[in-house]
Amino acid sequence: MLIRPRFRAFFGSLCLSDSAKMAYMEPTFDVVWPKSPLGTQARRPAPRLDTLHGKRIGFAWDYLFRGDELFPVLAKELRTRFDGVEIVNYDVFGNLHGPREHELVAQLPAGLARHRVDAVVSGNGC
Amino acid sequence: MSLVCEGFERQARATGRGLGFDRLPIAVMKGHVDAQSYDDMVASFVGYTLEQIVSGLTTSIDWDDEGSAEPAALDVVASGTIDEIHRTFVANGWSDGLAIIPPTRERVEAFIAVTGHDPWRVLGTIRPSGRDVTVWAIAVNAVMAGCEAVQLPVLLALAEVLLDPHYGVEHSGNTTGADALVVINGSVIDDLGFNHGPGAMRDGAGAPNTVVARWLRLFLRNVCGFTADEHDKATFGNSSRVVLAEDEGALAEIGWEPFAATFGHPAGTDAVTVARMNSGAMVGSVFGSTPEQIVPYLADGLARVTGWDLTHVCGLGQGHYSPLLVLSPVLARVFGRAGWSKAQVQQALYEHARIPAWRFEKLIGEWTNLTAGRRTLVELVGAGLVPPVFAETGDPDRLVPIVTSPDKLMIAVAGDPNRTNAYVFSNDGAHGDWTSKAIDRAYSTDLVCRVDNREACT
Repeated sequence: MLIRPRFRAFFGSLCLSDSAKMAYMEPTFDVVWPKSPLGTQARRPAPRLDTLHGKRIGFAWDYLFRGDELFPVLAKELRTRFDGVEIVNYDVFGNLHGPREHELVAQLPAGLARHRVDAVVSGNGC
Repeated sequence: MSLVCEGFERQARATGRGLGFDRLPIAVMKGHVDAQSYDDMVASFVGYTLEQIVSGLTTSIDWDDEGSAEPAALDVVASGTIDEIHRTFVANGWSDGLAIIPPTRERVEAFIAVTGHDPWRVLGTIRPSGRDVTVWAIAVNAVMAGCEAVQLPVLLALAEVLLDPHYGVEHSGNTTGADALVVINGSVIDDLGFNHGPGAMRDGAGAPNTVVARWLRLFLRNVCGFTADEHDKATFGNSSRVVLAEDEGALAEIGWEPFAATFGHPAGTDAVTVARMNSGAMVGSVFGSTPEQIVPYLADGLARVTGWDLTHVCGLGQGHYSPLLVLSPVLARVFGRAGWSKAQVQQALYEHARIPAWRFEKLIGEWTNLTAGRRTLVELVGAGLVPPVFAETGDPDRLVPIVTSPDKLMIAVAGDPNRTNAYVFSNDGAHGDWTSKAIDRAYSTDLVCRVDNREACT
């Protein structure tokens, strides 16, 4: 009886293990990475403060997720725990996640310098 | 230092890395603040988060600037049969799980050679991953997706959209899980075989529509970093949307400009226009032979698909809500027969697509908390944040628009030419805002620039 080629291949393959079948039948490929190199340079973080006593802490808010309730709590706690802490409130820097996001974030370094801010707490990512 | 809710640490660290701040201190708030009473939230914040904030501000950070140990573009990262390559790519998070064409160096090289582009050209650095967008990386993902080499100019234009700050690609993993919708215009539609007819938005109804959209998802994953391990914080997510090609023949017949003309492209320009869409809804079996008869139902569809998205009218995305109505050609012809311009249709839809003011206010400031301060529309108009039309009276039952002006209502024409249906999309405002780029299909002049001749690439 005549067996067509594709059936011959099928019956023939029954005698081989899976890996042997693959090795026998399949071509192999050497493939490259689908990601691309990092284009941003790693930046050294600003030195941390030795203490919060007498420091100016800036708040930066995205105007989301109850920052209007939480930042006042944070301000009160910091003032209670550390003498002379001054707070530069989020409204000084504007809504950093709204339609003016790019513009306001670009202005942030100058704003922090102008207000002599020692450290920043930004939020809220939720 | 940054404050995040529980579950956002990984994203925050990945975002920090993308900006070059690998060791940015993070303070975590337990659970999600929106699901907590005020007292519970404050108790948890003071008891659990506060110390992390103090520590983050005062504890020195170990830092080194050692280079990345990641593979180079031409490094072989896997070898094996097609099944083995597939499994490796899935295991490493480099694939969506559908079958891929193995991106061998030779195949990627051949893919780029067809259009003569410089493989090493850097189009820009993408957010939020901080990775370079290279022609090579675009092509590797295109090969994987099953794209054809002649589609590379379309992909390059899409990459330019992603790099445009106006689009806001960094938001592609946000709350709503919105997914991009690409609208394509120009002779490229017919030349490359994009489907604008029956099943225009169905997976597989047009191979170019499907594979170009798949490339976009793979590129967002591999180059932009939108995986659950990094930047994708979608609660549910949307499925990928195939590319929507407009029926330019139908448009010409009724005298309307192509969709891309809305964004300043002269008619006939090959262009892609992209926005991220939150939701979609069918406006089925539209009945009527005049504009006046069909506008109310179409407008109802736009109002019906709009909810959370109103935060992009005022609040999170001030004035950026701009939903899309896709008309089948036969419905567009109803307007064309009556001599209506697209602007007239937009005006009519603007007047009809309205919801009660109380519902608007609940959506932006009671059922959600995305417009800080829970202000009423009357207060928002008073503050100059929305146009006066939103507070013509103080009656909570008054009807108000869903967008700030008629031109915010986008209209495209596609689909089965003889079926009386429409489709509406709500967009994600500034988080994937309408952005359009021309497609340059001219053969590149980077002829001397080849993979092996990197120094010749400018």
